[in-house]
Amino acid sequence: MGEPDSNLSDDALLVLYANGDGRAVQELTMRLSPRCFGVAMRVLGNRAEAEDVTQEAMMRLWRMAPNWQPGQAQLSTWLYRVAMNLCIDLKRRQRGGYVDLDAVPEPADTSRSAAEQMQDGARQDALQVALMQLPERQRQAVVLRHIEELTNPEISGIMDISVEAVESLTARGKRALAAILAGRREELGYSDG
Amino acid sequence: MMADTDKAMQELDDLFTAARDTPAPLPAHLAKAIMSDALIARAETQAPTPAAKTRLRAGIWQQLMVAIGGLPAVGGLAAACAVGVWIGLAPPSFLPDPAQLVGYTESTSVPYESFNLATVLGEEVQ
Repeated sequence: MGEPDSNLSDDALLVLYANGDGRAVQELTMRLSPRCFGVAMRVLGNRAEAEDVTQEAMMRLWRMAPNWQPGQAQLSTWLYRVAMNLCIDLKRRQRGGYVDLDAVPEPADTSRSAAEQMQDGARQDALQVALMQLPERQRQAVVLRHIEELTNPEISGIMDISVEAVESLTARGKRALAAILAGRREELGYSDG
Repeated sequence: MMADTDKAMQELDDLFTAARDTPAPLPAHLAKAIMSDALIARAETQAPTPAAKTRLRAGIWQQLMVAIGGLPAVGGLAAACAVGVWIGLAPPSFLPDPAQLVGYTESTSVPYESFNLATVLGEEVQ
């Protein structure tokens, strides 16, 4: 029994799964889940919550598979949208929030010295702390644009807002992040030279 | 001032690049749970719905009715069953009383005020 062709599109794999081909499950899981998990981690700042959101989003994908219309939309866009809405729902149910710094992965570059790696880690921690200080919609837009590298039209579809609104959110979010991090430049090892 | 802003934005872009270069690995237990969910969801779509189960039961009864001869036969069967129950409860004189066959004898005593009630209830007599 052969593995499904990894050159198949996400659409094609989902159709295979809906028609009972279990081999498509692993391929789809490894293609879509990491992105979903990564963006949830950045938006929520909490590993356990990100895992819950990812599992729930993927469960919704499996359940809607029989009704998926190939070619009408990007499956990844659909999944991002579900994940972002789940993140919003989760935060609305909570009072306050906190940053789980363990949610930020350590840099894996072994060519850098320990001190440099610690500094990189500190900078990534600072980025996540700063992200958590943004209003939720700004944070989602900035993460989708500058970390997931989605286009403004794609983000518009995910967040169900106009392209102009996406541009406004990402511009304001980025300015706010720069201002937050400016106060920590010396601590994070940035020089003026 | 503008230079400071440009510098801050450049440093922020560098942080974004580093964030993209260090994606959070998907935990193994999460991947396993997601793949298990896929099988559960698939099984859910294949399980018969309540409406489908009702249609299945109706189909079986329809087959039974056809086998015994349709609605008139069902009516006759019901009537025969009712007669059989009546004969059992109140048999004609030439037939044995089924109650006597199982050892039941009609009693006119009132058990409530007698020793028999205590025996029936299993209470200790003082």
